[in-house]
Amino acid sequence: MRHVHTLIQGVILGVLTSGVFALMASGQTLIFGIMKVVNLAQGAMVILGAYLSYQLFTSFGLDPFLAIPVTTVIMFVLGVAVQWLFLRPLRKDDRSELSLLITFAVALLIEGVMSITWHTTSRSINTGYANSSWSLFGYQITLVRLWAFLLSLAVLGLLYLLLNHTRFGRAVRATVQNPESAKLLGIEADRVSALGFGLGAATAAAAGSVYGLLYPFNPGSHYDLISKLLSIVILGGLGSVGGAVLGALIASTSSAVVAATVSPAWSEMTFFVILIAILLVRPQGIFGTTVRSA
Amino acid sequence: MKRKKHSKRTWQAAVATCTLALAASGCASGSDSADSGHGPLVIGASVSLTGDFADNGKAVQRGYQLWADSINAKGGLLGRKVKFKIVDDLSSPSQVITNYQNLINRDHVNLVFGPFSSLLTVPASQVAKRYGYAFLEPAGGGPQVFDQHLHNLFFVQPAPSVSSGDVFAKWVLSLPAGQRPKTAAYAELDDPFASPIAENIRTAFEAAGIKTVYKQVYPAETTDLSPVISGVAAAHPDVLVSGTQSNDAYAQVKSLVQLKFSPKFIFMSNGANSPLEFPDKVGAGNTSGIMSAGDWYPSSTAAGSAEFAAAYVKKYGGTAQQIDNTSAEAYSCGQLLEDVAKKTAKIDNATIIKSLHSGSWPTLLGDLAWNADGAPTSEFSLVQWQGGKLLPVYPAAKAQAAPVYPKPNWGG
Amino acid sequence: MNRLRAAGPVAFFATLASLPSFNLAHWSINLLIFTLMFAVMSSSWNLVGGFAGYPSLGHAAFFGIGAYAEAIWFSHHSVSSGYEPFLMLPAIGLLAALIGLPIGAVAMRTRADVFAIVTITLLFVVQMFAFNLHSITGGAQGLSIAPAPFPAATYERPFYYVLVGLLALAMAITFAVMRSKVGLSLAALRGDEDKARGIGIRVTGVKLLAFTVSVGLTAMVGAVWAYYEGFIYPQFAVDPLITIAMVLMTFLGGRATLWGPVLGAFILESAQQYLAYRLGGSQVYLIAYALVFLLIMLLLPRGILPTVQDRIRRRRRRQAVDSGSPTRTQPANAAATAGGGQA
Repeated sequence: MRHVHTLIQGVILGVLTSGVFALMASGQTLIFGIMKVVNLAQGAMVILGAYLSYQLFTSFGLDPFLAIPVTTVIMFVLGVAVQWLFLRPLRKDDRSELSLLITFAVALLIEGVMSITWHTTSRSINTGYANSSWSLFGYQITLVRLWAFLLSLAVLGLLYLLLNHTRFGRAVRATVQNPESAKLLGIEADRVSALGFGLGAATAAAAGSVYGLLYPFNPGSHYDLISKLLSIVILGGLGSVGGAVLGALIASTSSAVVAATVSPAWSEMTFFVILIAILLVRPQGIFGTTVRSA
Repeated sequence: MKRKKHSKRTWQAAVATCTLALAASGCASGSDSADSGHGPLVIGASVSLTGDFADNGKAVQRGYQLWADSINAKGGLLGRKVKFKIVDDLSSPSQVITNYQNLINRDHVNLVFGPFSSLLTVPASQVAKRYGYAFLEPAGGGPQVFDQHLHNLFFVQPAPSVSSGDVFAKWVLSLPAGQRPKTAAYAELDDPFASPIAENIRTAFEAAGIKTVYKQVYPAETTDLSPVISGVAAAHPDVLVSGTQSNDAYAQVKSLVQLKFSPKFIFMSNGANSPLEFPDKVGAGNTSGIMSAGDWYPSSTAAGSAEFAAAYVKKYGGTAQQIDNTSAEAYSCGQLLEDVAKKTAKIDNATIIKSLHSGSWPTLLGDLAWNADGAPTSEFSLVQWQGGKLLPVYPAAKAQAAPVYPKPNWGG
Repeated sequence: MNRLRAAGPVAFFATLASLPSFNLAHWSINLLIFTLMFAVMSSSWNLVGGFAGYPSLGHAAFFGIGAYAEAIWFSHHSVSSGYEPFLMLPAIGLLAALIGLPIGAVAMRTRADVFAIVTITLLFVVQMFAFNLHSITGGAQGLSIAPAPFPAATYERPFYYVLVGLLALAMAITFAVMRSKVGLSLAALRGDEDKARGIGIRVTGVKLLAFTVSVGLTAMVGAVWAYYEGFIYPQFAVDPLITIAMVLMTFLGGRATLWGPVLGAFILESAQQYLAYRLGGSQVYLIAYALVFLLIMLLLPRGILPTVQDRIRRRRRRQAVDSGSPTRTQPANAAATAGGGQA
């Protein structure tokens, strides 16, 4: 009986945590869809978002959830700047290889700036409700995780509305599906790329506020994050936001279940097992289109 | 063209070999050929100023520098002004080797002090040994450090790190049988400084009949400890023994509060002994009753302690309660040099190595003595959070308050 | 022409080999040792990332595998003369190549960016195994190798010579690849893999060959590193920053050239050690590193050697045109890939 209890507790934990990962992964997959660039700085941007929330909380007492509008705007601008400065100058043919390295360098740059500004001590955002939890049928539901999950759903909902019911969203989707035709229709690839990257950074900021409430973080935390995010977006299919959400759900829940029932040591492994499995079985991911070879 | 190079090279090689032979014979005598006995005494140290160990590294730097200031105010060491040459090792073992190579062989420092953490101390101590330098180090106390059987190494803390929990086991087992815990759970971080401490306690507890009802070792990267703590809570132990570093200690406490489980005794090997960070991270109301191990505390009466605390606060601000004991450990390295100089009127590497291997030497951390491998032979103190302050509670000789048990519930 | 070309490399290696006998200070040899490690690793990365065009971001995994293989072996066998760890190198290289074979076979079925992701993942998986398989790897407690019983005065030399040897090996392999059909095949598939397959090139075989040789060499460097450090820990033996350094050095010097990676290694490693020693304390270090990285990517995307060769070629052509005489332009292919950049 205890085993079933542990299992279900694990599932609850996994589902609640998946919200944050879905948010992070959606930004990543969106950037790939628009620019065909794997953004290795996504993890660093999330952590930067966490630090910004932390700063707003400690300096102004602003609750992280309420800080999201502020941090998303800041990070949006940052994202556009990064794209314009470092990615746009790349020649088309070099873009695939070099963008990986460039975004990684950007990640290091962000890490360096964070180390100087906030030092390398671990931080976490300790709001008053950070430790409270509900008891539901004998299962503990941590309040913070619940809010995090609901918030992630809300932001994802906004993203959905943006992509499907605005002109910008339509431009983005057109660029993702067929860049050539999109250009013919008058959509400026550069502008869409810049705004798209900004959007990806903004979702990272929102995820960061939430992340900071759930986990302690320091400038070096982004390595861990990025490897998990990559597994998730590949599972879901590069370029598909819906895939990212589903992928986050699957990966996060499996990982939490393994941690609860087997051992925390192997829970990280779940992400990678999933990645390898999907690459062997269906390399384009759940919702991805068929991959062109080399 | 090639022939010219060959003969030129042969000639250079011959000259070089002769020089090398002369230099080698000079070095072999064991004394610092660079030390003329006058001028400033330069002590080199590679410290983690950036990277994973940065905050601790900076605490070490502060301790070293503070000692230099204090000894120079008293006229220096044997009349020589003390100067530190501190370089950053980026928390990297490759860089630390390069740093000590540079310090010893390029900058020709007179003495060296150790870096932060066993991970960096091990490769660094080998470099120091090759060139006959004494290696006083404040932060490398894992068993792998002493397994090297280095004669020139001295760990400047009361006992090897894995023994820091033994004082808790001793105290618990000294309680009357009716008040002792009957069951124990162990939540351990897979880390050379964390897990072995908890394991030592477990050995002692199991031998005394305290049943182990749950044990889980989690990897270093784990940010989410809820699954582990759920397991702990489900087992309802009387005592929770946590082998932790800082982040996971905070995470464990947070999880315990969220799951509303409060065992009668909690011991955390690290994290809980951080006077500033711990209440900040887990909430001041949640610290009450948690125990940890410590070697220095602000109200200590050990040699030079009051002077150290006053000087620290004057130079770096804050209150005495906020002083990281890593700085105290670093400061003690300097005190040992003072002690050796006072006793022998000499301050070269060979004398330091020979002197410290016998007798006991007074420092901020109490009187220290070492075995042949550099492992200190004294013991830590058991500290406990009471009323928002971290106080030593055992052994009686060092206690400033009586231990409180069972642990008060969360939030109070 | 050929003999002149050969004089350059020979002189280079002869100088390298004789440096220790110039009574160089220990710290200089130490610096050279780390530089050589990266020179070998960059040259081997070049085979996969440069010649084959598959940017592997997980090579450090094999560095770690080599390091752990060496440490694990010598925790069960003793080190008496001090040379046994070096004698184990070929075996370790072979082991890594064998491990790399199935991994490469799976990973290289994907295109460049997904390949990079898979290799990054590999890196973290290997790190995780290193952390979790306590009984074999010692987990977070690390693993030790008995210190080498070399005399203190010449302690670094055996390591140094072994690394010079490895560099010679790596460059010899690269040179052989460039001059052979393998090199042509790699160049073809780097341009367009489907077309290459279409004209009958053994794409898979050639890719895998490059991959396995590359990881074998990297693992050997890892083994030497483990011996030099004396004690290894998972997060340092399997470290993403090592891959990044390799990649950056190859990019800086010039991908798919012979001397590019070596040049890049010498420039960057010395700079890095210097920056760390000077700037480390002010925490500007990481930012400086990242900025250098970005500048190189943006300003010199092809690397130093190809850019310099281009300029030289352009100037020669201009001079020829100005003087009105017919130019003896070398075929672009040979100039770009034969890498005769040195003396």
